[in-house]
This record gives sequence, structure tokens and C-alpha cells, in this order.
Amino acid sequence: MSNLGFALEGAWKVLLAGLILGAGLPVLFALGIRSLAAGAGGGTAAPRPTGKVVAYALFAIVVLGVLLGLTVIVASGFGKTISFDQVYPAIVDK
Amino acid sequence: MTETTVILVLVVITALGFDFTNGFHDTANAMATSIATGALRPKVAVALSGILNLVGAFLSVEVALTVSNAVVRIQNSDGTPKESLTSDGGSALLLIVLAGLVGSIVWNLFTWLLGLPSSSSHALFGGLIGATIAGLGWAGVNWNGDGSKLDGVVGKVILPALLSPVIAGVVAAVGTWLIYRLTVGVAKRFTDNGFRWGQIGSASLVSLAHGTNDAQKTMGVITLALIAAGDWTDTKSIPFWVKASCALAIAAGTYLGGWRIIRTLGKGLVEIAPPQGMAAESSSAAVILASSHLGFALSTTHVATGSILGSGVGKPGAQVRWRVAGRMVAAWLITLPSAAVVGALMWFIGDSIGGLAGALVVFLILVAAAGYMYWHSRKTPVDHNNVNDEWDETAERREPAGTAV
Repeated sequence: MSNLGFALEGAWKVLLAGLILGAGLPVLFALGIRSLAAGAGGGTAAPRPTGKVVAYALFAIVVLGVLLGLTVIVASGFGKTISFDQVYPAIVDK
Repeated sequence: MTETTVILVLVVITALGFDFTNGFHDTANAMATSIATGALRPKVAVALSGILNLVGAFLSVEVALTVSNAVVRIQNSDGTPKESLTSDGGSALLLIVLAGLVGSIVWNLFTWLLGLPSSSSHALFGGLIGATIAGLGWAGVNWNGDGSKLDGVVGKVILPALLSPVIAGVVAAVGTWLIYRLTVGVAKRFTDNGFRWGQIGSASLVSLAHGTNDAQKTMGVITLALIAAGDWTDTKSIPFWVKASCALAIAAGTYLGGWRIIRTLGKGLVEIAPPQGMAAESSSAAVILASSHLGFALSTTHVATGSILGSGVGKPGAQVRWRVAGRMVAAWLITLPSAAVVGALMWFIGDSIGGLAGALVVFLILVAAAGYMYWHSRKTPVDHNNVNDEWDETAERREPAGTAV
């Protein structure tokens, strides 16, 4: 396979991962902020207590995503990589 | 001290100088958005980024010595220098590395003077390619790899540079568009505070990743020079002082803050609002980490610029200054060849004078060029006080580096 083939193969994977993590997580974060605002009420809207719970659940998912990013950085510094072969991510040799 | 030792010292100083320019050239990639939206005060932003770069650089426990193998053939696959370049005590290899580094620094400083975010890795590779072509001829460059994996100048430098801004731009545009759709009608006190933390978090990830990725390159180059001069033999580890000095150089550079580039990225390209800032930095962090995980090395600069552009495209009604974007793309296209031309020129000068005197002359040319560009930059200073001033396209076009103060 030529360089162009390898590059396009890598590119669509990066695009997919980028869309899931780089656009997906901020979207969850934005939803969390929306829930938080709904939970607090304000203006003419009455406060909805479930909003706060939903908001923190969404923020927790975002934090997990950030921790995954941190793990990738630290692992690469130690010459390791993250394997997704099992369901959960595991640190393995490069 | 032998002649080789003195040349080695010059190479080490120059390499640390490159690492320093690498730092301030790339502060903008992580922090331009947070500074432009006011999520962090400018000085706080560069301090945070500097510390994270320092931590990131020290996290580089396993450093590859084969940085240059992607583009030039001056090393064996285990990281040791080619024997033909060390038969004279190492000075043949040292001159190539020195000339290459000078080419990269000169180009990095020139684009900084113009306030253009060009890729530091392209400058490094360009300088090395130029010096190698001058020293070893066209065959010394690994143009296309051997077809077994993504490799060579085309595979490691040119194709990723074409694809990465597009990928990052699409991700940021999608993220921005969705965030605006989802937060319509939400009170400002929730969105402003929320997106402020979102920006700081994602920008911090970009800074940390930058420390681990970029400081390593200089560590590898310095260790290569030490091995060539016979002062180090282990190809599995690097001296601690190399790691510490590279970490400090990139962190100090980052803290200095390339304010001209921060201004262009944060104010010139798009007027950035907090949701866009968060979308742009999240896109940068995800694309950089995913690509380094998949072994598809991208330039942080190209990714960050693509993300910020994308955040302008994705926001309904936002203005993108395509003229500024066009100038950046032009700078990207000529970064590699320009650094290569300077690197080759430096090699010819060093080689025709020869020996220690040649290396010294090359080094002095670097000092003079750097001093001239610094002096020129003081005519229109950009610093943490005026980095966020209104962008006036007509004034910026006369003096692209910034506004007169």
C-alpha cells in the first residue's frame, strides 16, 4: 500500500475518534450545563431537581473522557499505549 | 577540549535554543482561545501552559532516538549515527545537525515576527532535510519510505499536514454547531462559567500533550549528537541533564508566550466566544491524542489552527477572516522548503570554512539573525497587555505582526 493509502486509513480513524471524543464530549458537557440551568430554574421556569442529577451524571462522563486522555498522554511518555481489545481500556507495551 | 567537543557544545546550545522557540511558537495552540475569551488572564494562561509543558516533558520516560529517521538517513534503525558520518570523530554529523537546527530556528523566529503560527516540527524537519541534502545529496533524504508503513517526507510530513487541519476543522465545526444548538435560551451565568472550565480543561490537555511530544524531539537530537561525538553510548536511555534542560527550555519558551502568534490565532482568525473556545480546544486535544495513539503523527499547530477555523465555520453568523487563514496556509506551505534552504546554506558555509571555525561562523550567523529579528520585533511590540486589542484588518495588513503601541 502506498503512503496515501496509509494516510487516508489513519485519517478516517482520527476523524471518527475526534468526532466521538472531541465533539461528543463537549456536547455532553453542553447538555450538562443545560440540565444544570433547568435544575436551578430562573425566569418564569420552575426549578426541576432532576436537572441537577442529570447534569452531574453527564459531567462525570466528560471527566472519564478527560481521564482517558490523560492516561494516553502519560502512557505514551512511558513508551506504552492503550489497548481497547478488551471492553475496558488497558495499558500495554507499544 | 578537542575541536569536536566545542562543536558539540554549540550543537547542544543551538538545540536548546530550538526547543525554546518551539515552546513560545506553540503557546498559542493551547492558550490562544482561553486568552481571547478571557477564560484565563494572559499571564495566568502562559504560566499554566508552561508548567504543564514542564510536567509533560518529564513524563517522557521512553525517548525515541530515531526522530530524524522519518525524513533523513543519518541514523541507523537503532538510533546510532551512520558510521560514514562519524569516521572523522563525529564532526560531519554534528555539522549537519547544527546547520539543520539553525535553519529551523531562523524560520521559527521569522514566522513569529510575522505573527504566523507555523509548525515547529516542519521547521525542524525542513532544516534537517536541507542540511542533509547539502551534506549527503538527494539520496540522504527518506522521501517516500519503503512502502511498508506511513514513512518518509511524504508520509510523515506532507500528507498529515494536508489532512490534519481538515480533520480538526470538521470536528470543531460539528462540536461548535451542536453546542450552540443545545444551549439556546440557557441563562448566560451558566454557560459562561461552564464553558470557562471546559476551555481551561481542554487547553490543559493540549499543553500536557505538547510537552510529552515536542520536548522529546530535541532530547533525541541532542542525544544523537552526544553519541556521534562519542560522549554517550546507550541507545536505550538518555542522560538526565538532557531531559531536564530540554524540559526547562520548552517550559521557559512557553511561559515567555509568543504573543504575536497568540494574537493572530485568538483574535485574527475568528472572534472567539467561550463555546467556540471549548469546542476548538476539545477538538484539538482529541485529534492530537487520537492521532498519536494511532501512530499518525500530526503537527499541533496545524490541528489547533484547523480547530479554531472550524469553530468559526460552525457558529451561525460568525465571521471568519479568510485572508488571515490564507496567509497562514501560505506560511505552512513554505515552512519546510524555507527552513531547508537556510539549513542547506548553513551547511555550505560551515563546510567551506571547515572544522571548528565553520561551526562557529554558522552559530554566529544564528545569533546575528536572532538578534536582528528580536530588535525588529520591538518596533511593534505585542505582549500580554495588548494581545487582545481589537483586530483592525487594514492596520494588521500593513504590519502583520501586531498593532503599533
